[in-house]
Amino acid sequence: MSADAAITARRRGRRKSPLGSRWTPYLFLLPAAAYIVLFQAIPLVQEAYLSFTRTNLLNPTRSTWIGLDNYVDIFTSSDFQQTLLTTLVYVLVCVIGAVGSGLVVALLLNSDFPGRGVARALVTVPWAAPGIATALIATWMLNAQYGIITQALRAIGIDVGASGILDNPQLALVAILATTIWQLFPFVAVVLLSALQSVPAELVEAAEMDGANRRWVFRVVTWQVIKPTVGLIALLMTIWSLRRFELIWLMTRGGPLGTTRTLVIDLYSQAFDSKQIGAAAAIGMVGILIALIVVVGSRFVQSAAERSTP
Amino acid sequence: MAHTTSRRSSRLRAAGILALTTSVVLAGCSTSGDAPSADGEIEPATITFAASTFGDPGLGPRLQELIDEYNQSQDVVTIEPAAVPFPTFGQTVLTQMGGGEGPDLVRFDMPEFTSAADAGLLEPLDDQIDADSLDLQPGPDEYMSVDDTRYGVIFDTSNYVMYYNTTLIPTPPTDFDEFMATAKATTQGDVFGLAFRQTQAEENGVWQDIFNYVYGFGGEWSDGEELTLNKPENIEGLEAYQSLYDADVIPKGADAATFRKMFAQDKVGMELNNGGYLVATRGTNPELQFSVAPIPFPVRAQGAIMAPLVINANSEHKDAALDFMNWVLEPQQQTSLQEALGASSVATVTERSEEQLAETPFLPVYDELTNSSKPQIVLGFGPQTADIRKIVVTEVISALQGQKSMQEAMDDAQAEAEQLVG
Repeated sequence: MSADAAITARRRGRRKSPLGSRWTPYLFLLPAAAYIVLFQAIPLVQEAYLSFTRTNLLNPTRSTWIGLDNYVDIFTSSDFQQTLLTTLVYVLVCVIGAVGSGLVVALLLNSDFPGRGVARALVTVPWAAPGIATALIATWMLNAQYGIITQALRAIGIDVGASGILDNPQLALVAILATTIWQLFPFVAVVLLSALQSVPAELVEAAEMDGANRRWVFRVVTWQVIKPTVGLIALLMTIWSLRRFELIWLMTRGGPLGTTRTLVIDLYSQAFDSKQIGAAAAIGMVGILIALIVVVGSRFVQSAAERSTP
Repeated sequence: MAHTTSRRSSRLRAAGILALTTSVVLAGCSTSGDAPSADGEIEPATITFAASTFGDPGLGPRLQELIDEYNQSQDVVTIEPAAVPFPTFGQTVLTQMGGGEGPDLVRFDMPEFTSAADAGLLEPLDDQIDADSLDLQPGPDEYMSVDDTRYGVIFDTSNYVMYYNTTLIPTPPTDFDEFMATAKATTQGDVFGLAFRQTQAEENGVWQDIFNYVYGFGGEWSDGEELTLNKPENIEGLEAYQSLYDADVIPKGADAATFRKMFAQDKVGMELNNGGYLVATRGTNPELQFSVAPIPFPVRAQGAIMAPLVINANSEHKDAALDFMNWVLEPQQQTSLQEALGASSVATVTERSEEQLAETPFLPVYDELTNSSKPQIVLGFGPQTADIRKIVVTEVISALQGQKSMQEAMDDAQAEAEQLVG
């Protein structure tokens, strides 16, 4: 038998196998597709439907179609406008703060110094700590009477008010942002550290031999390599920050005076305090829309950057 | 009493045998179990009873004993306690009930009780409970009906009193001026004269605390038909609350868990709290020297944690649930329950045992307040209490923060809440 004949025979044999069917790829995709349809698509459609109804949590089967009323109500509410603004500030500062501090830490951990292995292990601790424990420890450290941070700030002459940082409308969001960034930056640092380790050493050496200083090397070599990773992390941070709940809820429940109320806090409050799951669904849809805009926007920016790269 | 129990037990046993026989004869013709059997007897069933107090380290085991006693008193109905943590109790159970499921018996708090009754999730009890033959405490029982229909009976009522550390404060204050003076005199170094909740993170707790000031100064959140959030007496009570906050006699920013530990460690002189706190405080520090007195405000009206026992309208074993309800309302069980609960009152008027009074001589202080206590809801607006609470607490905190006067804060709260309730 010639080689060609043998290959043809093998191909025929493969076609006969059930795994060789043209339906095989779909078969493999089926579990994932079923999961997405069951646990994401159907709930999303239900949520979209709910957002056009007046539905009480205690009587979810007796809902009334009210069209766009829930959306009109939330967008004409000054409280919701403040919630949107707080959410945007929270997300922006979280992303910039976590990515910025994570990058600095990654650069430090990528340099050569004694005890680097221990430092790399220690830096992951805030990320490894459960969110609830982080929130409770932060609340304790910020306690108005006994909190170590409050005491330290007072000792250096910074007035945080008698009621403490978490009950001060000017400082509560700052405290929550600081806690969030503290919890997030290790993840950014670890991911960027691995990206930094993939920067070709010969490129760095070549740039240094050409007389480039460290800042220039970072800009033209290192940054170009890690940029896609930074973009991906920024996208992840944005989505995670949009839906962060437990830390804010445990530290302030959205207070004082609504200054730390983000979309998810508002959603929870509407659904389980006010028991208005129709209105809560409308808030959820706004959150999904913002997330979609971020994802599509980032893809657009990424594509534009790729096109402009020679 | 024993005679009553024995007769009931025989009836249940007979019902059990009858039901078993019927089920054998009619095997294959099973029913849904929705209704009692044709002759009105109780069908054998295992039912669930949800209460946050089952998970309480001090109270839980005592309540379990009561359930065990019921389960052993007959062999037809078995009750399985379901401990749902207090912070998520209402949300968990109401969501289940809204979905057509949930426990058969529930010990609710008042806000959830009114919401559930309003949504038609509770079994009406007017024809099921012979209220006239029971010596029910009239004060709390008044709130067991919604729109003239009874949906529950009191399981326990925990009245708010003034706890004071007798080492720091040998003589309790008897009016508000003395209360303020005592709080100021006791505040020294790391010891505070008083403690209460004042942060948004403890919204429900702030509501419970300010409730005593509003009602203790003659105010009320509503007259049953209209909201009265900015009533002059309410402002007076809330300004009294604010004056204590401004006087720096409380550990500001400390949450309830923290300042309750401080009270147990002689670091806080006074606290307004309910009867459930007695067991918890003794558990934290058995050596602590403390006593209780009525809250020294102008009007003898204070908040209470009223917890109705209700039957889930979705239950497939309402007859079994009702049997437990009737059993627990019998005088012997009421006495046992009151002993288990410590400082709380039960549905009916009961006598404290001499042993209990010897152990805690100030128990009558709690009991005498039962009929002047109010549930911590906005009367007439029970289902909207959570929303009104959020508005009021936010406005009160804005006044504490100095952003507006208490009068302006409550005027704003009134306007916003009126818009909410229509």
